Parts: sequence; C-alpha cells; structure tokens
Amino acid sequence: MSGDARERILGRVREANRDREPVAHPGSLPEAAEPPAPLGETGRTDPVGAFEVRLRAAGGEVVQLANEAAARSWLDEFATGFETVSVCAGVPDALQPVLPAAPPEEAALGVSAAVGAAAQTGSLLLSSREGRRSQLLPPVHLVWVRAEDVRLTLGDALQSCREDLPAVLALHSGPSKSADIGQILITGVHGPGRIIAAIVGG
Amino acid sequence: MEVHSRDYRDRARRIITETPEVRESVTAATRTFVDNRREAFADLDEAALSGWAKEVKSHALTHLADYLEEAETRLVERGAHVHWAETASDVHRIFERIVEENAVRKVVKAKSMLSEELALNPFLESCGVEVFETDLGEYIIQLLGEPPSHIVGPSIHKSLEDTRVIFHERLGTARDASPEDLAAAARDFLRETFLTADLGVSGGNFLVAETGSIALIENEGNIRLSTSVPRIHVALVGIEKVLPRWADLSTFLQVTAKSATGQPVGCFVSIIQGPGGSAAGEPDGPEELHVILVDNGRTRVLADPEIWEALRCVRCGACLNICPVYRQTGGHAYGYVYSGPLGGILNPGLVGLEETLPLPFASTACGACADVCPVRIPIPELLHVWRRRAVERGLTGSEERTALGLFASAATRSRLFGWAENLAGVLPDWVIRRLPMLREWSDGREPPRATGPTFRELWDEGIE
Ligand code: SF4
Repeated sequence: MSGDARERILGRVREANRDREPVAHPGSLPEAAEPPAPLGETGRTDPVGAFEVRLRAAGGEVVQLANEAAARSWLDEFATGFETVSVCAGVPDALQPVLPAAPPEEAALGVSAAVGAAAQTGSLLLSSREGRRSQLLPPVHLVWVRAEDVRLTLGDALQSCREDLPAVLALHSGPSKSADIGQILITGVHGPGRIIAAIVGG
Repeated sequence: MEVHSRDYRDRARRIITETPEVRESVTAATRTFVDNRREAFADLDEAALSGWAKEVKSHALTHLADYLEEAETRLVERGAHVHWAETASDVHRIFERIVEENAVRKVVKAKSMLSEELALNPFLESCGVEVFETDLGEYIIQLLGEPPSHIVGPSIHKSLEDTRVIFHERLGTARDASPEDLAAAARDFLRETFLTADLGVSGGNFLVAETGSIALIENEGNIRLSTSVPRIHVALVGIEKVLPRWADLSTFLQVTAKSATGQPVGCFVSIIQGPGGSAAGEPDGPEELHVILVDNGRTRVLADPEIWEALRCVRCGACLNICPVYRQTGGHAYGYVYSGPLGGILNPGLVGLEETLPLPFASTACGACADVCPVRIPIPELLHVWRRRAVERGLTGSEERTALGLFASAATRSRLFGWAENLAGVLPDWVIRRLPMLREWSDGREPPRATGPTFRELWDEGIE
C-alpha cells in the first residue's frame, strides 16, 4: 500500500512540475545578508564574547574559564549548590562534579559536553551520542564547551558536524520557555529552566 | 479534520459578539509577535534574506520528487522506516499497524499542524490509545476540547483566567494559582507521561534532502522529550517541507524563528537523522523512527500553476499576526487548521474552494501579509486568484462580487499609500462595521454602500 502511494505521490509531483521552469538554487546566502553575531564585551565580534552576549540575552548563563584547572575549581564551588548529578557519557573525568549520581529523571543537575557552539544564535550543539536524558530531564543543565569550538555563525558550526552526524544533533539556545499561559513568560516548562555554558580555554 | 470554513461569517460573528475577550487576547499576543519580529529584523537585510529563502524553497519545489527520494534514501540508510501517505486514512492505517505491532497504549504528541489536518488524535483514541498533547498551549486547549487557533501559539485566544479555571478543574491547582504554579502542575503531570509513554509523535519544520534530516524548532523542550524518551518516534512531514542542502538549514532555522517570535532561533532545535538507542549504538533515544511523508492535497496545490508558490510556506505565522482581520477573531472562525491569510491561500488548495469559500474574501487586501512573509509568497495575489475563480465558477453571491471590486481598489490605493507596514492595532468597531466583507459581523442594519470608502480612508479617519 505504502509502495503504491509512494509511486502515485512521486508521479503526481513529477507531473505537476513537468511544464514548470525549474528554479535554480541560489547558492550560499550572501555574506552581507547573514544575521550578524552581536559584539562581545571588547566591542568587536569575537566568537566567545558574542556567544556570551547572545546566550545571556536568551536567559542563559555563561562562565569563561581560562583552563582546565580554573574549570575544576569553579566546578567544585558550583557543585555545592546541588545534591545529585547525572553526567553524560561525553564529559571528561576531570570535568565531572563530585556529587552522588542519580538517574536523569531524579538528578538535580545534568552535565554534558557540547560538540560545538554558534555565536550568531547563542546555540550549544549537543550530540545524542553522549545520551539525551541528562541533557533534558534535570532542571539545571551545565554544558562544557571548548573555546576553540565556538564558531561565529550557526552555518559554520553545523558544517563542522556535517561529516559525522549523530542520531540527533540538538541546539540548546536558552532555558526552556513558554508564554502559552496568558502570554506570560515562564521558564523551565519541560526542559531545563537553567542552562549554564562553561567555556574552557581561549 | 472536518472543514467548517463555509460557516466563516457565522463563526466570526459569534466569536466577536459572544466572546469579545478573544479579540483582546489575540490582539495582545499578535501585537507582541509583530513587535518582536520587527525588532529582530531591524538590523538585517530582510529583502536579501527573504529573496534567498524564496529561491531555495522554489528550487526545492521544482525538484521535489528527486529531493524526496534523496531524503528517503538517507533516512533508510540510517535505519528509519519511511512511509508515504496520500490521505488521512493512509496515515491512520500506518499508525494502526505501528500501534498494534508494538502494543502502544500511551502517546505523547509535540505540536503538529499536519496532525490536526489528519485528525490523528481522534483516530488514535478510537484505537484505545491515550493521547497527550505536550506543548503547554496545546495541552491547555486539549483539556478544553478546542482546536489550535494559531499555528505558532495554539492557545493565544485564551487568558490566564481561562487556564486557571480549567487547571483547577482538571489538575486541582488553586483557583488563583500563579502562572508559574500552573506551569509547574502541567510539567509534573506531563513529565510522568513522557516517562511512561510508548510512542512520541512530532511534525517536522524541515526535511533536509542531502542528509535526510528532520529539523524541529521549539521553546519548551517538549519536542526534544517527545522525540527522545519514548521507545518509538513517528514524525509526520508534509512533502513540501524539503530543503535541498545541509548548508541551507542554518538560515532557515533563523529566518523562521525570527519571523515567528523574533528570537534568533528557538530555545531548542532537534535535527534528527535516524533512530537512536541501541539501533544507533547510542545510550538512549527511540529504538524506532518512522517518518510519514504526507501528501493530503499538497500535490494538487503543486499542480496549480497559479497557487503552487503557497507551498513555500514555513508556517511562521507572521501573516496571521499582522492581519487586521485575523486579529478580530483568532483562528477558530476560519474553520480549518490554517487561518488568517495563510488559510485564505492554502485551505482552498488543500481541501477545495467550494469547501472553504469565504476565506479568500476574509481580507482587507491591505498587503501587510506579503510584506512580512519570509519566503515572499505573494499572498494578496493568490487571494485574488481564488476570489476570481469563485466569481468565474458562479460560487459567489452579489455581496462578494461587490466586495471584490472594493478590494481591488482598496488594495491598489493602500499599497500606493504604503500604510500597511504601520498597521498594528485592533480595528475599532465602527471600522469593522463598514468593511465590505466584515460588515455582516455586526448587527448593524445599514444598507450596503454602492461605493464604500476605501480601507485606507477608514483607517485614516480612525487614527485621526
Ligand atoms: S505564508 Fe509566509 S508569513 Fe504566512 S505563515 Fe507562511 S511563511 Fe509565514
């Protein structure tokens, strides 16, 4: 049944287009038309600074940490605010908080490691290969990202993942939000209500 | 979904007279959308962006069969099941099989307008399956037994008070609960539902042919959960959703989000290539992914030389938000899934002009919709095509024929004066009463004017 439907649909599509002048693909978006990334603190567009501006504007939090040692001591302090943690498979040992582990649906904190980030949209790129539940179920989501993986445009960030795509590549660009109750903005509806991007290096 | 568009006038009149608060809610919400959109595009070369997006979508549509086959090949390579459905009953049969083979009892749904077209919820319920909408707005209206009234904000016609009442009844929240408490109650209930559901249903904003990727934009996280937590994920994708290349995706994600809500991109985007879990050697995620490619009238629209461009639509809702006619009633008056200017051009193509007749006339021909469309669909011209055909086929009464002439002149003049872009408010009642098509909405008994004032003249009077 599905096979016949396939042939009939494709047949109708081809028939519909038979006498139509094919439209050419315009190629890449002209660079001048790219939505600009915001200016960072330095007043110029550096990817990490711009990423921070964008994610903060969407209600996210950002910390910049010079190296792994700085990251470790920041993490020890940060982790004191939580009772339990669920850590994704991709997070290196050195960046795992010292907290009792809990299943993602019970943990107070989820920790993951981004495969990239885009300043243009303030997006963290997350792979399903490290497991999705810890990215989604805990109310607070800490995401590690390396400074050199932060790209200026979303297009560049997506392109860098193109060759080896996981089952799901997800963009997280702010805390979960809704205005569906009387147009009043609420955070933390289904996904994490707090997202913290911890950028290491730079 | 049953089509009730023929009753547009009665439905519109009832909404305006019996539930005047709907107009208030819808106007407030759409104004916010419009303001945010304007701000988002303020520092952008909007013409270059929409011009590019238009070409990409037109290219995809004129090469649609090849791209659909390419997407199918990629998805199958990754272990997804690809189904093709010509009609709603095809989709129902596909679901019936999946439900039976997997003993599915509970389904979570992420917002999908296509699933509304297909009347999927009633069908699943008739199979003994429990269905839960998980988008907060969709959940509210599901409890109320209503269809969505806007393609982006399904519950924008409902106030905080409306939600308080229904949540008090159904979830036991306090009668004066805060919005945060209401959201928390819905989250707790739905969280449990996500964790126990057998199957998740989503739509698809885009289908990238080159990689077989289904892209979904959202803000709440319910789409990520619906497509990640249950063992089976079924994605309903209209065949017109194709984008040719992976490299096209980033701009479409941004343009759609900016145009819909003014955000740089949604808080969450899922870009799905195939099933997860052990099937993909991943720690979690659905073991099965079914992608249903749905026609349901789309090939008929594609075959229409004057209307096919309507298939470029990315469902951003910008044309609804800016439309002074949509704002008076919200979406329910239109009697089908798609409302506002989009409904006026698409519904007659999908389900037939006779079934949806007054919709192409539910317009002031002001042209504001064309100015905000991110893929440059010439909406007023397409509305005009349907109106012309209605007259040619003798489907219209004298009312519409008179209106048609007025529309044409109002359109020309209003475009000349360029006021459309500034249109932001709710129309005063006296303006509505005197609008050619909308006059019937009021109980006024004024005789029709042979040559009514143009909309622009009315508008100028209204704003002094
Ligand atoms: S017709 Fe254009 S403006 Fe309206 S929803 Fe579709 S893409 Fe958006």
